Amino acid sequence: MAMTAPFFQYGMFGDNVSLVVAFCIGIGFGFFLERAGFGSARKLVSQFYLNDLAVFKVMFTAIVTAMLGVTYLAWIGWLDLSLVYLVPTYLGPQIVGGLILGVGFVVGGYCPGTSVAATATGRVDGLVYALGIFAGMFTFAELFPWLKGFYLSGAGEAQTIPQVFGLPYGVVVFAVVLMAVGGFYGASLLEKRFGAGSAE
Amino acid sequence: MTRWLSTLTLNQKLAVAAILLGAVALAARPYAGGQVTLDARELALAVSREADHVEAPELAAWIVESRADYRLIDLRSAAEYDGYHIPGAVNIPLAGLMDAGLRRQEKLVLYSDGGIHSVQAWLLLEAQGFAGVYMLKGGLEEWKDQVLFPVMADNPTSDQRATDERRRVLSTFFGGQPRSASAMAGGAAGAVGAPAGLPAAPKVVPPPSAAGGAKPPVKKKKEGC
Repeated sequence: MAMTAPFFQYGMFGDNVSLVVAFCIGIGFGFFLERAGFGSARKLVSQFYLNDLAVFKVMFTAIVTAMLGVTYLAWIGWLDLSLVYLVPTYLGPQIVGGLILGVGFVVGGYCPGTSVAATATGRVDGLVYALGIFAGMFTFAELFPWLKGFYLSGAGEAQTIPQVFGLPYGVVVFAVVLMAVGGFYGASLLEKRFGAGSAE
Repeated sequence: MTRWLSTLTLNQKLAVAAILLGAVALAARPYAGGQVTLDARELALAVSREADHVEAPELAAWIVESRADYRLIDLRSAAEYDGYHIPGAVNIPLAGLMDAGLRRQEKLVLYSDGGIHSVQAWLLLEAQGFAGVYMLKGGLEEWKDQVLFPVMADNPTSDQRATDERRRVLSTFFGGQPRSASAMAGGAAGAVGAPAGLPAAPKVVPPPSAAGGAKPPVKKKKEGC
């Protein structure tokens, strides 16, 4: 069978249909965030107090599932990895951006996606957080001329872990799986120690 | 074994499955090398749909509009490229195609003198799994006939007049010269199909209106995520 994915790159649908597809994926994403309990700031923040690490476990599970799926689909030739868009690496700006997002997460109790999910279920704190995001985006856009130098500093080419460390792709996959499983085990220990004893 | 499995919780079973899949993936080579299989039927369909080529006037319009979402590749030798090339084209002779570092997400438009070299390069790239490769239909010959030296009707109908005018503008934009049909038919046999000569330098790119210097459209537009 010939390569068939990514569907957009292979011209299976155009710009307009891709918006519909993105909408459906977004609705699904929000639905499962909410179902996982991530529409609640309490649930989200409790990972920082180490008494409920559901966020960590869900996110890492998603990463491992997607990684294994992509690896195998590409291996059997259904997905052309070289056509998958990669976000360019700007190491410095991305570290700073990650820190800002992390601080906002602890202070506000949400990350961008979960704040939208919380808003959709009618939570006022989620709505305030989402408005804050837009205010931040607006401020950033207004300040962009001053921030541009830093924003664009760094390499700017998409870099992957196998490329940077010169490791075979499969070794990185296996290492991430081991990290995840070890992390889940560690998380369950932490939850036993600090948590309310909610066994999963 | 089965008894051991039944003692595990669902989460533990999933963890075991993930570790096994990860271990097997140690041998994975997900970035396919040179071994992409060609689906002959799909290829033939693309060819018959004429989805694989760009007409010369269409390409000319892209260049005038300074579109930047494609790369124009001249497959001829460096000497021929230096002699004349379509504005904005980069020179990658056929033999060097595989080492040119072309990216597979890019939209590529190939051309050579006639059509044969582009067809061959098109097949090579398709076999490497390039997703968006197009040929300039008829190559440089068509470019000359349709864009640089288009033949104008002597007594144009009103419909023809509009298209003729557009072709005249395109022709002068690219440094060419329209020819009249009567001169073609009645003129000496030697003159037929032999334009006075190709525009010497392809530097005639910048449109007279946009004197700011339109950049040749070789840059790939950045894709959002």
